[in-house]
Amino acid sequence: MKKAVFVLIGMMLLTQPVLASDVAEVEAFLTQRLDGVMALLQDKKLDKKTRNDKIVVIITEAFDFDTMAKLSLGKKHWPGLSGKEKKRFTDLFIERLKASYLEKLDLYDDEKIVYSKPEQVKNKVQMLTELVSKDNKITMLYKLYKSKKEGWRVYDVELEGVSLITTYRSQFNEVLQTGTMKDLFAKLERPEAESN
Amino acid sequence: MSFLMVSCAGVKQKGLTKGFQEPLTVSDLSIVAQDASDEIGFDEFEDEFSPVTEETVFDPLSGYNRAMTTFNDKFFDYVLSPVSRGYSFVVPEGGRIGIRRFFKNLFYPLRFLNNVLQVKYDQAAIETARFIVNSTVGLLGFFDPAEEWLGLEAHPEDFGQTLGVYGVGPGFHIVLPFIGPSNLRDAIGLIPDAYSVPLAYIPEMNISGVSESDGTLIAVGAESYRRLNSASLSLEEYESLRRDALDLYSFLRDAYERNRAAEIKE
Repeated sequence: MKKAVFVLIGMMLLTQPVLASDVAEVEAFLTQRLDGVMALLQDKKLDKKTRNDKIVVIITEAFDFDTMAKLSLGKKHWPGLSGKEKKRFTDLFIERLKASYLEKLDLYDDEKIVYSKPEQVKNKVQMLTELVSKDNKITMLYKLYKSKKEGWRVYDVELEGVSLITTYRSQFNEVLQTGTMKDLFAKLERPEAESN
Repeated sequence: MSFLMVSCAGVKQKGLTKGFQEPLTVSDLSIVAQDASDEIGFDEFEDEFSPVTEETVFDPLSGYNRAMTTFNDKFFDYVLSPVSRGYSFVVPEGGRIGIRRFFKNLFYPLRFLNNVLQVKYDQAAIETARFIVNSTVGLLGFFDPAEEWLGLEAHPEDFGQTLGVYGVGPGFHIVLPFIGPSNLRDAIGLIPDAYSVPLAYIPEMNISGVSESDGTLIAVGAESYRRLNSASLSLEEYESLRRDALDLYSFLRDAYERNRAAEIKE
């Protein structure tokens, strides 16, 4: 009997239905963070380093980097790693993701963000945003799930219909099909932007 | 689902080792919950990033494609990038955006036709309104009052997409010289695309003093210039994308195929 109770509690922990209030929560949460990033981008008084540091603080609140690292390797590769490898991979992955995100923001700093109402997809929530500039438009779909410890967090972003996690996943999978984790670590160290 | 079994097993084990006298405490439960947060990830997300999306693209030409990707990449580094940087130095950004709009306006028949073929009549109507407004008030399309004042957005569609909408699969992936990633369907689509663009008709316009072969040269020149101008506005995008790739060829290939699939679904 007792066992059954715990199993039931365990199941409740696993499946958390999305409520209407959740959708509103996601909207407020994400809009606030992205507006914050945009404000920093447009603040021309800040030097790039301070600005980037502040942006990283905001996106660390919004993104669940650890889960993203796991998902990008997927069930196929992640469970087989040693604790040390998991840590090393997660660190390298997060570093790379941040660098890539900051660089993309630099390209789009004169744009404004148009938000759509978030949509519930099973027990997750997706929010479509558009980066609109003078004669260009880029769609970014933020996908969030409710983490038990921290509430709603972004676990994937789709840029023009291309999922970040799926892209990384195929790339990592390709390396690991022929190579080892060591090869992957070497490749993960992202080349710096040339200064010009 | 398999995780659920593991967590159940965990609870069962705890129950057994502790015996029935000693009830499970909150901390026991939190251990279970913690295990959950560590491994739950996959079952909850796996259907979304299922192996289906990992399915490799049909790629019999991978050898040639890789070589062509390298060629295009070198062409970018040694020709396109330096030339368009020089060009950007001479023509300010505002001017280049205007020129890009001019060509975009000129390509109206392509978008109109494909919107109609995809039964998107409302979008075709918007395209027509845009063309009329931008060609006149927008001074031959150098400005975009249709969007800025009237909120009429462009709806780019091409023949590759139209074929996709009617169920034609992408076919094998092929990297085209200078143009970049494509696939059989989209490459075939480029031919009707070219015929629905006014530039294609320059040779037949019988402009006085311009022979047909000169006309062809002018058309090719105009198209090259359009590409250069447009590249000058997005050099950094390619450079940044390139740095995201572990393997440039498969990265560009997958990104292209997924982006096209998403565009066709719209």
